[in-house]
Amino acid sequence: MSQRIEFDNVVQRFRIIRERPDTLRELFSKLYRRGEPGFYDFLALKGVSFRIGDGESVGIIGRNGSGKSTLLKIIAGVYKASSGRVSIQGKVAALIELAAGFHPELTGRENILLNGLLMGLKRREIKEREQAIIDFAEVGQFIDSPVKQYSSGMFMRLGFAIAIQVDPEILLMDEILAVGDGPFQKKCLDRIDEFRSQGKTTILVSHDMSAIRAHCRRALLINEGRLIADGDAAEVIAVYEELQAKIIGATDGKAHSAEVLVS
Amino acid sequence: MSIFSLLAEIQHNRELIWALALKELHIRYKRSALGFLWSLLNPLLMMIILSVVFSTIVRIGVKQYAIFLMSALLPWTFMSQTLAYSAESIVGNGELLKKIHVAKTVFPIAAVLSNVINFLLSMIPLLLLMLALRFPFHWTWFYLPVPFLGLVLFTTGCALFCSAANVFFRDVAHILQVVISAWFYASPVMYSLDFVPDRYRIFFRANPMAYILHGFRNGIYYGTVPSMASIAMSIGVGLVALVLGYAFFRRMQDSFVFYL
Repeated sequence: MSQRIEFDNVVQRFRIIRERPDTLRELFSKLYRRGEPGFYDFLALKGVSFRIGDGESVGIIGRNGSGKSTLLKIIAGVYKASSGRVSIQGKVAALIELAAGFHPELTGRENILLNGLLMGLKRREIKEREQAIIDFAEVGQFIDSPVKQYSSGMFMRLGFAIAIQVDPEILLMDEILAVGDGPFQKKCLDRIDEFRSQGKTTILVSHDMSAIRAHCRRALLINEGRLIADGDAAEVIAVYEELQAKIIGATDGKAHSAEVLVS
Repeated sequence: MSIFSLLAEIQHNRELIWALALKELHIRYKRSALGFLWSLLNPLLMMIILSVVFSTIVRIGVKQYAIFLMSALLPWTFMSQTLAYSAESIVGNGELLKKIHVAKTVFPIAAVLSNVINFLLSMIPLLLLMLALRFPFHWTWFYLPVPFLGLVLFTTGCALFCSAANVFFRDVAHILQVVISAWFYASPVMYSLDFVPDRYRIFFRANPMAYILHGFRNGIYYGTVPSMASIAMSIGVGLVALVLGYAFFRRMQDSFVFYL
């Protein structure tokens, strides 16, 4: 089994700016009254190491703000890790709403081309898949109308259908299962299962433990930027539930100090 | 050499860049009845106005002033429009860059490309105007690809710089407008260097656009080819701008996502 994803002691640092000098005026006024730095560093990931091989289905779980999405964005290539080594083998696609890549004035078909190119497909590959995307998205004759006329459901389904047809080696999903109605979700899940059965790597970030159980054999538990459990999905979920129970217990104990835990 | 990695990136993403450039043009003219024709009509109407104004109302001691002006104004407009577009190109695609991994250079490069297409199209009304005014076509038109190359290299370098700088300081887009209009009057567009007293000409030597515009005006209006030194400078300033602009862009591009 070849390695698809390798993380070696990966750190992701965010420079949190107290008052971001978005304009030069703010920068100058900041330089003028020196002293307290206008920012502090926040470590979203504090040295995370793991390997994911070809054909694995991995769930990433953890509380809000634990660093799950940061991890996913590093795999997707959106963030470049501040330190540590990241190695990704193969094409990565993320199943996220790609409304951002859509231009409202362009037709569905034109947006398929543009979005497909943005996701790294070649024009020829997109033309081959165009009909499959249109069918999957169930937009029918609207495909040649500007997407600004689409209903929000059609808009999301089209973005999703493009991503799902990219046919990558590694598929990333961040709480994907909220797109579309029941039948559409079912279709997506079937496609993801089909994908897995082809021996591709899938990574799912979710708070829905039943989705993790159903789709992942392995799970990674991230807490406060550290990988604290890695292994069989059922076992890691048990660790996570224990952790959550402990936090809920602590919150109950300390009655009104929930915000301490959040920070 | 960093330029080769830029070329490799362009080559690898050529289909995407082309699609983005066409989208840009498409959207610019989408809702108008005449559509793409505007890219021809707009410069043509402007030229007609200018030639009427400068041949009847304001008399300038330059023969066929409209052609004189256009030969430098068209490349100038290309440069200034491209910079205005490209300054917003990374910021405008911020939501996208926060979601997917894509070579970030494609956005400013596509802005350059869409304006190159517009610029080449604006040559058609210039040719029509020359026919209408019975202005001679000089063989030196064949020389124009040289200043054109310098113009595109220079503009691309500045576009890369502006698009990256605007991510960190959104003032760049505003400052640019002021700089461009001041730069316009400091460049030989409406006048030529012959109008400038000797002691001020030194300032024009420091203006990269002066060499490029000189090439265009010589080729189109005077029917001459500039001196070797001037030709070398017009390509040289282009290469320097490109190397510096791309070096800056490359240095900053990994942090874009944190400021978008």
